[in-house]
Amino acid sequence: MTREGRLVLMLAGASLVLAIAITVVFRVNAYLNDGTGNKPRIVVVLKSIDYSLAFWQTVKDGVESASKDYDVDVSILGPLSETQVDEQIRIMQNSLLDKPAAIVLAATDFDRLVPVAKQVKAAHIPLVTIDSFISSTDADTKIGTNNYQAGRNAGAALLKYLVPGSKIVIISQDRGSSTALDRESGVRDFLKGKAQVEETFYSSNDAKIAYNQTTQLLGTDMDVKGIIALNDPTTIGAAQALKESGRAKDVVLIGFDNSLTVLGFVESGVVRDTIVQKPFNMGYLGIKIALDLIKGKRVEPFIDTGSQVINSQNMLLPANQQLLFPITK
Amino acid sequence: MKIRTTQLSIILWFTLLIVISILTIGALSFYFFSDTLRRNSLDNTNQVVMQLNRVIDNYISYMDNISLVVISNNDVQNYIREDNSDQALLSFSSTPNPKIVMRGNVNSLFQSIISVRKDIDSIMLLLDNKTIVTDHPDDKINPYAQWPSAAKSALNGSSLSASLSSSHVQNIIAGKYPWVITLSRNVQDVKTNQHKGVLLVDLNYSVIAGLCSEIQLGKSGYVFIINNEGEIVYHPRQQLIYSGLKSEPINQLKNLPNGHMTAEVEGREVLYTTNTSLYTGWTVVGVSYPSELFYNRFELEYYIAMIAISCFFVSVIISYFISVRITRPIEALRRSVRAVEGGNFDFDIPTNSTDEVNGLAQDFNIASRKIKDLIAQNAQAHEQKRKHELKALQAQINPHFLYNTLDSIIWMIECGEGEDAIVMTSTLAKFFRLGISKGGDIITVKDEIEHLNCYLTIQKMRYKDKLDFLVAVNPEILPYRTIKLIIQPLVENAIYHGLKAQDQKGMLKVVGYQDGNDIIFKVIDNGIGMTSEELADINNSLPTSKDQGGVGVTNVRERIQLYFGALYGVTFESVKGEGTVVTIRLPVLTEDDL
Repeated sequence: MTREGRLVLMLAGASLVLAIAITVVFRVNAYLNDGTGNKPRIVVVLKSIDYSLAFWQTVKDGVESASKDYDVDVSILGPLSETQVDEQIRIMQNSLLDKPAAIVLAATDFDRLVPVAKQVKAAHIPLVTIDSFISSTDADTKIGTNNYQAGRNAGAALLKYLVPGSKIVIISQDRGSSTALDRESGVRDFLKGKAQVEETFYSSNDAKIAYNQTTQLLGTDMDVKGIIALNDPTTIGAAQALKESGRAKDVVLIGFDNSLTVLGFVESGVVRDTIVQKPFNMGYLGIKIALDLIKGKRVEPFIDTGSQVINSQNMLLPANQQLLFPITK
Repeated sequence: MKIRTTQLSIILWFTLLIVISILTIGALSFYFFSDTLRRNSLDNTNQVVMQLNRVIDNYISYMDNISLVVISNNDVQNYIREDNSDQALLSFSSTPNPKIVMRGNVNSLFQSIISVRKDIDSIMLLLDNKTIVTDHPDDKINPYAQWPSAAKSALNGSSLSASLSSSHVQNIIAGKYPWVITLSRNVQDVKTNQHKGVLLVDLNYSVIAGLCSEIQLGKSGYVFIINNEGEIVYHPRQQLIYSGLKSEPINQLKNLPNGHMTAEVEGREVLYTTNTSLYTGWTVVGVSYPSELFYNRFELEYYIAMIAISCFFVSVIISYFISVRITRPIEALRRSVRAVEGGNFDFDIPTNSTDEVNGLAQDFNIASRKIKDLIAQNAQAHEQKRKHELKALQAQINPHFLYNTLDSIIWMIECGEGEDAIVMTSTLAKFFRLGISKGGDIITVKDEIEHLNCYLTIQKMRYKDKLDFLVAVNPEILPYRTIKLIIQPLVENAIYHGLKAQDQKGMLKVVGYQDGNDIIFKVIDNGIGMTSEELADINNSLPTSKDQGGVGVTNVRERIQLYFGALYGVTFESVKGEGTVVTIRLPVLTEDDL
């Protein structure tokens, strides 16, 4: 083999190797970028899939918008009621079997969802918690309202309308979710020394129960000056009761969330202020951050979606219109 | 590889040329293609936003016309003219209250419009006396809503006379919070021009949203609309804008009513194309991502790279074979030349390659053969020389002459002619000594004549009176050189063939002189001569029967010609019965010439 022959053979061989290498790189690149490889599948387990609850409907919209924007497959699951903790745990365990790319969870119970969360992490699946979190550190991140701060804001809002030392009752939705617990601590911590906070009522997330509790309260206790209802159904029940009692002028009700019913009460002043969350953002960011985790990027341990104090003065500002009356697809 | 062979050069340059050409073409095509794509996309987006604006304009214009029709409608005018407060409506009377009837008519009008156009959310007539008529008779006013007392002014310079709002939540009707775009117009009594109230036509937000969300600008592109005050009329992700998760460069876009601009958002290049309607004052903004245009950019780059590599591969191989075809024959040629250098002349170069080398090879073959022939000739000539010298050497021994002479010597001794015997013996000795001349070919003319004289002396002593000789050589030519054994053989020839056969006394004369650059010897005898045929034969070196194994004419002639060339040699002249003249022609050769 002449020297030139060998050179030619080397060059031909090198070009062949180069061609193969480039082809491999190209195919791999195409597979990764194009998504003609499988789209990642993310499972979202909400506290409730009762879409008559405007809050969760809006979270769902956020999830679906993000799934379109980021080109991912999304399954939205959850129990019918926010109190069905066992059901939620069962749904989580079922979802694990399908090995989704990531799981987004709004926990119905602060403590009881921890074991299944550990199972998720053991399976090396990224776990994002939104709105209501879990007590352990198993989740990769928490996205939601800083409920403690929201509680403090609610306390501050109430205090604006009252003299210091007034008697105040808190009606919470449940004993177990981080949302309820944080908000209540926020309210109590803020009002400590500023107002007289009575024992908390628990509405079991039912407007009817809240209504009954409030009616009874207003009927028996003439000293109470302020009520803070910690979530949407609780606020609806309390507002209805307050309106019917005729005491709406001298008892200040601060509520949470922005269902149309609540907003109606805000407009009429029965609910003096309502603390509004950003459920759309929770849903949207839940998916966005889950995708970041799937891609191996680092994420913040807590993302505060924020809260807004809404009343009849500011509710029709353009920015607030978007928030209060989310345009559903 | 330091040594650059032709082959290597061919391979490298050929391949380089091909690959550079391909890459250049590829890069240029890629660039121009990419550029064309961008322009086309820009054009396309322009068209899209312009078209959308036109559609919206038509739509709003239609709604505007409806509102105009409504405010000039008789039923409406009648209604607004009279005192139509709720008090009046509630007055009890058996006859149908004309107010109620009129109100009912307006209701019906609104309802009929709504039933035809599903995209109108509601039509509301709000009068300054705080009464309201809508398309739905049971609608109650939201007591907490703000009451619009007069329509805002319409857009400057536009033919749209109604006032167009941005998208917003309508809360005038209790319990309803629809998203709408409101067209509002002042209502006057046409007779008195008195301001009576405001007409609101609420368009379903979903109509505009539907129109806009259908627009596809590439995979992730979309459109959004802002009004002349920079408020967002429509955006597919409006919620994200207000919560700060997404932002659009509204300020910059407000200053760019019709055109395009690019920006970088989250690492991606974004193209904004705007078109503003003079009618509505709304700006439609098309958002597209140029990186999506060229979605198969990687594929194209890949294919260009593959083609370049393939061409490289092919050109390397082809150039190798081309170079081989060129250089191999040259190599063969080189080997042949080497072989010839080494003395091997039977090497014939194969001549089946390119024309240039072919011609060279052929010429080389011919040259090689010629050399081969010349060498053969040379060898042959040498051979001949050797043969002739051998013969001459043989002749020097000349057995006939030798034993004849020895006989004579013995006879002389027996006869007591001792003196003659001594002379003959010493002359014989000298004859052979000169003939051998120490082995050399070239001797002086003097020695050659001496040699002849010895011969003639001996022959004279034998033949006595029967032979007479005379040697007359110009002394000037004596120092010249000549080859030996040329005169004596011819003289011997003359004696035995010319003189011996005749009875009368033989006369032999040898002369020698210079003739220009030649020296001439002539052997003249008065012998029997030759016939013309014999003469011809002998002049042409044809063998005659007269040759008897001695150093013949042919030998002498050929030796002369071998040494000196064809110009020289031996020629005969003869007349039968009278004699023969043999002329020997030689070149002048001095000692210096040798």
